[in-house]
Amino acid sequence: MTSKPRISRRAVVAGAGAAVTSPFVWTSAQAQAGGTIKLGMPLALTGPLGSVGQQQKRGAELYAKVQNEKGGWLGKKIELLIEDTAGNPATCVRKAQEMVERHDCRLFTGITLSSEALAVVPKLAEWNAIFISSDNGDGRLTAESFVPNFFRANTSGPMGTRAVSLYIKQANYKKFFALGLDYAWGHNSVQVFESEVKRAGKEFEGKVFAPTGTKDYSTYIAKIRQSGCDAVFLVLAGDDNNAFLAQAAQYKLGDKVALLAEQLELSAMKAVGDACLGMIVSARYAFSIDTPKNKEFVELWKKEHNGLVPDQFEGEQWQCQRVFEAGIAKAGSIEADKLRPALEDLTIDDIKGKVHIRKCDHQGVQQGFIIKASRREGFSHPVPEVIATFPADKVTPPCNKMTYDD
Amino acid sequence: MGTLAFLLNQSVNALSQAALLFFLGVGLTLIFGIMRIVNFAHGTLFMLGAFVSYTAVRLTGSFWAALVLSPLIVGLIGTAFELVILRRLYKRDAHAFLMVTFGLALVVGEAVRLIWGSDALQVPAPTALSGVIFLLDEPFPVYRLFLAVSGIVVAIAIWQLLERTRLGLLIRATSQNAEMVHALGVDVTLVRSGVFGIGCGLAALGGVLAAPLVTASHGMAATAVIDAFVIVIIGGMGSFLGSLIGAVLVAFVQVFGNYYFPDLALAFMYLIMLVVLVVRPGGLLGKEA
Repeated sequence: MTSKPRISRRAVVAGAGAAVTSPFVWTSAQAQAGGTIKLGMPLALTGPLGSVGQQQKRGAELYAKVQNEKGGWLGKKIELLIEDTAGNPATCVRKAQEMVERHDCRLFTGITLSSEALAVVPKLAEWNAIFISSDNGDGRLTAESFVPNFFRANTSGPMGTRAVSLYIKQANYKKFFALGLDYAWGHNSVQVFESEVKRAGKEFEGKVFAPTGTKDYSTYIAKIRQSGCDAVFLVLAGDDNNAFLAQAAQYKLGDKVALLAEQLELSAMKAVGDACLGMIVSARYAFSIDTPKNKEFVELWKKEHNGLVPDQFEGEQWQCQRVFEAGIAKAGSIEADKLRPALEDLTIDDIKGKVHIRKCDHQGVQQGFIIKASRREGFSHPVPEVIATFPADKVTPPCNKMTYDD
Repeated sequence: MGTLAFLLNQSVNALSQAALLFFLGVGLTLIFGIMRIVNFAHGTLFMLGAFVSYTAVRLTGSFWAALVLSPLIVGLIGTAFELVILRRLYKRDAHAFLMVTFGLALVVGEAVRLIWGSDALQVPAPTALSGVIFLLDEPFPVYRLFLAVSGIVVAIAIWQLLERTRLGLLIRATSQNAEMVHALGVDVTLVRSGVFGIGCGLAALGGVLAAPLVTASHGMAATAVIDAFVIVIIGGMGSFLGSLIGAVLVAFVQVFGNYYFPDLALAFMYLIMLVVLVVRPGGLLGKEA
């Protein structure tokens, strides 16, 4: 007869902890000695924001493929160092540190969550490394937490929120409520939205924050309904966004309250289908943005990805890579001391139009887009339709600030 | 919204959440009770259930078919895993099971990524359940009501299975004294394979039912495995009734806690676990002291 193995409850609890905290690690590229320029990408490939990290990965991979065919950067091939952080700031710092120590990596991008970016930026000077953000939303990164080796190529959270605010000034909504994810980006964007609503002379009825990984949004939906608002501003991403939208549709929340959001990925539109139809959202990037460069990019993307169109962070990552490219070409080096001044005051004209990396806080000054989740021929799910574009000087906050003066 | 309407609405909602937690917890506890195996792949099988249901809905066009097929398929995968791998390890110590089920979680997780990709996928609720009903004039999704009812139905079904059927008798007997059951001429290994399959199938059932609420996503696995462990630790390992009570307790405290103290949303589940561990270290209905 087989014997019964005994397991103490203590072992189970310890094991469960280990199972949850052990990072699922894989590296896409093996480091080779010399001959390449290494671009470190600690990404949240798993966890609630895994879809964002996966988009960043795909965006960087296509760029590296295309650029390496043209000879890479400074005649060297681009080598992506990709590691999964599962969205954990401590893991992210550790992985980045390993990339610096083991692979002599001096360029970073990708770092998916703002909380991870906030944990990494204090180390950049010590590592002598440049980090160009492709998706970090938290306004503090270019304000109170700004460090000289950090640059932001992407639209920040406050900028996205500002675009929505500019839009609602013209709209009929009077009372607002806000729901954000309970970490740096969510709080930051809700704070900016609240101040914008109040300055617009409209009513702000309240706000609530949900931890990442929330599965049941019913109590949050109840709070939104009870607030009596006519529009709710959402600062959600990844699985949380999908769960909220699917459940809000089941509660028929959209019948009474307009859904506004700081961002809505195409992958979310696919995942929730009609539940997002009609949502008014600030888009950091949308495949439907009407610029010649974007049309080229979308065609290239479709060719490489079986006819699929690029998603928000795939586009943002692409733009970020183009900022790297222009900066490195101008500097003729990847050394932080040479690359930093080259990136400052750099202007590129790419998929979203002009992006100017201003010297004062290293924010990429760029246009703001408002999209509506709409039906379009040839797609089985809603897609972003650009309904308003705001000029760069209107959506970008003053230097080193997260709020707006006008 | 009146207080009474709110309380009724959220109570039914808590029952719907309890149902999902129960499907997770009861599978884990059944497997532990009879095999003394802690199945770390439980959350991943929950996720697999959701992804299989996505494909089943696409192929058959019916959520109901997916509701039957997905637990069946995942249950069979579980049984195969027991037959091919776990069976060889019963003579080893407990750590072998921790490693091998954790390994299963990694393999299944990656397989799901390779087969279905890394994006979340939509599994819509069936049309018949996509409306709202009014509980004291407050809208409540029919789908959540369906979840609450299915939780009750499955709980009764498992209880009847354990109490009234020969298989249930064997399961209870094996969990108490496998050697004696074996000596009486019962093929205990068969009972183990069956129970492992049933446990995995229950996790998948939870996954299918959760999919219309949260979409089928990779993130489901990590949160589900934690939920399942918490439920089982609160209820007492190996106790069917314990997992039921654990699920209802956690769901109610989470729903009402989230509403009244949203800042503590993450803490509630662990607070209950902490209190239970201090007061009754073996869990509410557990035997281990």
